[in-house]
Amino acid sequence: MKALIKDILNKTNLPDVTFADVRITLTDQESIWFMNGFLRGFGSSLGSPALGIRVLVNGCWGFAGSSDLGAASIDKAVHTAISNARSGSRFMQEAVSFPALPATQAEYHFQPKIDPFKMDKAEKLDYLQKLAKAIQPQGKIVYSTVSAQFYRQEKYYANSEGSYSHCTYYNTLPQMNVLSADGNQTQSRTWPGDMSAGRAGFELFYQHDFEANTQRIIKEATDLLDAPVITEEKADIIIGGGHLALQIHESVGHATEADRIFGMEISYAGKTFVKPEMLGKFQYGSPLVNIYSDSSDPRGMGYHPLDDEGVPGRKVDIIKDGILVDQQTSRHIAHMLGLEPSSNMKGSFADDFPLVRMTNFCLAPGSGTLEELIASTEHGYLLDFTKTWSIDDNRNNFQFTTEIGYRIDDGKITGIVKEPTYFGITKDFWNACDAVCGKEDWEYYGTFHCGKGEPGQAMLLSHGTAPARFKQINVSVNI
Amino acid sequence: MNHLSYLKEQLDAQPNLQYVLSSHNWSTDFLRFYHSQTNYNISKDRFSIGVKMWRGKKSYAFAIDQPDQARIDATLAEALGIIDQLSEDPDFVDLESDLTLAAPSKVPNNIEDIPLQLKTQILQELADAAQPHNFEIYGTFICNHSTSRIINSNGMDKSSTGSPIYLEVKAVHNQSQVTVLETWGGEDFSRFHLPTFKARLLDKIAHCANPVVDVDPGYYDVIFAPRCIAELAQYLAWGMSARAIDQRSSYFEGKLDTQVFPTYLSITDDPEDKDIISQDYGSDGHIYRPLKLIDKGVFKAFFCDNYYSHKTGLPKNGNTGDCLRIDAGDKSLEEMIGGVKRGLYISCLHYMNFINMKETSITGLTRDGTFLIEDGKITRVVNSLRFTDRIERIFKNILALESTASVIPFSENYDTFSISSVKAPHALVKDFNISSSTHTI
Repeated sequence: MKALIKDILNKTNLPDVTFADVRITLTDQESIWFMNGFLRGFGSSLGSPALGIRVLVNGCWGFAGSSDLGAASIDKAVHTAISNARSGSRFMQEAVSFPALPATQAEYHFQPKIDPFKMDKAEKLDYLQKLAKAIQPQGKIVYSTVSAQFYRQEKYYANSEGSYSHCTYYNTLPQMNVLSADGNQTQSRTWPGDMSAGRAGFELFYQHDFEANTQRIIKEATDLLDAPVITEEKADIIIGGGHLALQIHESVGHATEADRIFGMEISYAGKTFVKPEMLGKFQYGSPLVNIYSDSSDPRGMGYHPLDDEGVPGRKVDIIKDGILVDQQTSRHIAHMLGLEPSSNMKGSFADDFPLVRMTNFCLAPGSGTLEELIASTEHGYLLDFTKTWSIDDNRNNFQFTTEIGYRIDDGKITGIVKEPTYFGITKDFWNACDAVCGKEDWEYYGTFHCGKGEPGQAMLLSHGTAPARFKQINVSVNI
Repeated sequence: MNHLSYLKEQLDAQPNLQYVLSSHNWSTDFLRFYHSQTNYNISKDRFSIGVKMWRGKKSYAFAIDQPDQARIDATLAEALGIIDQLSEDPDFVDLESDLTLAAPSKVPNNIEDIPLQLKTQILQELADAAQPHNFEIYGTFICNHSTSRIINSNGMDKSSTGSPIYLEVKAVHNQSQVTVLETWGGEDFSRFHLPTFKARLLDKIAHCANPVVDVDPGYYDVIFAPRCIAELAQYLAWGMSARAIDQRSSYFEGKLDTQVFPTYLSITDDPEDKDIISQDYGSDGHIYRPLKLIDKGVFKAFFCDNYYSHKTGLPKNGNTGDCLRIDAGDKSLEEMIGGVKRGLYISCLHYMNFINMKETSITGLTRDGTFLIEDGKITRVVNSLRFTDRIERIFKNILALESTASVIPFSENYDTFSISSVKAPHALVKDFNISSSTHTI
């Protein structure tokens, strides 16, 4: 494959092609889905090939992708990518440019503890079947699912600067869910929540301790039917790591993707309230808020030795002591902003155009445990397990609802509330952060479903965080 | 012998095996632009085959991208080795048996018919028109072409071809960031009229001259543009599926033949409407025919495929809600705006999500042109706003519908990029719940 990808790159070696890169991915995916205790779906797609060729001609990007790695298809893709760039350059005002980087060579091959594609299928299905049976409809539980998605991608990258990488990644997304009903009302509980994906194999099910949580979600979903709602206008809230990962994702992660500053995502995902002049000055959060992008941490799904335009993986502080200090960038955008490229350019598959994407986007740990944080809260709510989310296209106004809230009085959990909903403005919210728990409660969370770009791409990425507390947040929404 | 025929032959040779075999050959030419210039040009193609097979009530599925005989043989052998180990789905009864073929139609290949040079010429003309107003254009100009075939062991063998076009142009003011949106979608590019498209875009730009203001949270009378009503109807339609009934998350559970909305609201899933991007078949190959969903406010039918028909007892159809038409009313847009003392004109919705699907409670935002209406006239641009409401309430609060309906294209942005459309009029809705402001455009 190394010879093939370099041969393709040689075909782009024309006088007007100032930069080129080529990617090939081979992707295995398997999904298993139980509904109401029964196996409803088991399917796979193995060895799916994809090729992507990106060229810069006359300062304009051209791209061609295909699932066909045959010689004729490759020649056609090379020709089309160059032709697309030449045609597109007729509608240009400012040419794309960026400084060259030294050539880098990299190999990385992740090995899960339990390879989901090689493990005994009966063992895998038996485990999931037992979970599905444990949560199948009973009492007020009317619907339940257990699902597993396994992903393995082998990726080759080469560019015209001489960089080359060959990597293998495994990711797993485990989930279970119950729905309770009482008359026209329904409530739901999931485990381990919406951000349950990780860089791992089947062992992720054991790490999340699914078996020990089946009865918990049944009880909580049932209890939620009779639970009160929050009645205050404002309250102190502690957000658990699983949901805080999404808060970080939506209100900081996407907001600091610098392609949004330049309007490259206006047509779909949106723009950002962040402006270039804010760098180094803008008080994004309280001094406890330290947020970074780290594609050099192999524990997360965002790890890579090289991104999809040849930038070595690295850790970049985005918010330091509450101040916005950097952005997630491509080489082109970093050059426009006078920054070093942050190694955030990725395409989901080789036939996807690379975009500025979050990799491992993390809130740094503070100090103390979640238990201590609850104990130090006079009155408030611990919110976790995402139910719904929404944020405006400047990433400024957000509103989230979680499945459950745990009421805190005098430092103790005293009950639950249903569908707790909070909203706010990004800067005000992060400046209201008065505590971030320490390393002992810091974990990686992740998703398979971060959508961006057109044609759309779903990216697999991670967020590291510990629970954190936010003071006097708006929790009154009339639905 | 092609791969599909080969695979069918292999599957037919297996005892007691039922199967659905499908192929999808998809390509796109995709021009994305920003700041009145090219962002990137993408050409992309993908060929895949998919198999779902049953032995009794046990099933297994696999897909092969860019298949060859060796991969087919290996994957099929593995699948046949797996299927007997699996547990049963007690609700599976049989595969789709509807063999009705759609009327043949001639579908162009718009990737070939609309070259990039033509696209960039059109965009340059629009950029030049917006520039004197200090606006630049952002968006996408997409042509897709796909051919699909579905075969099953009940004798089904159906093919369909589509080649939708989607032009989305956002004009963004260079200083204020005030944004307006104009779109065109369809399969027949001869129906695209650039002067009309440009005039509509410039008309929207003209509304943006006045200052930007904020409004307080509260209940407002609003005029929803057709795009908003179309999107709300799409969200509402999620509860109109037999699957949603089975999953106990349908607002329409127990409401068949019940008056749920005002009598002047009718919604049809209509692939035969000439303006709507058509569908020949549903996902399991059943013929896609017009289906009345809401008739004069009465809920009439669920989308229901073969599996859920057996499971729920509802009548099956090939509908999936991809061809929605909300019938026009009897008011002009001017009359509708003229009747609003103080309210909002909302052009687009953004990032809408259910809070509780069964209750149809949602939150989301306005985008790309929110305007204040004062004394029957659009007066000022308003910052984007958050709403939290129930779609049920919104549709029950419709006071009037425009006398003409517009076709609104939508792009499905996950997996293979697909394009569909909805036909909808403007709607006047009372007491829409604006729950907060974004304080930004």
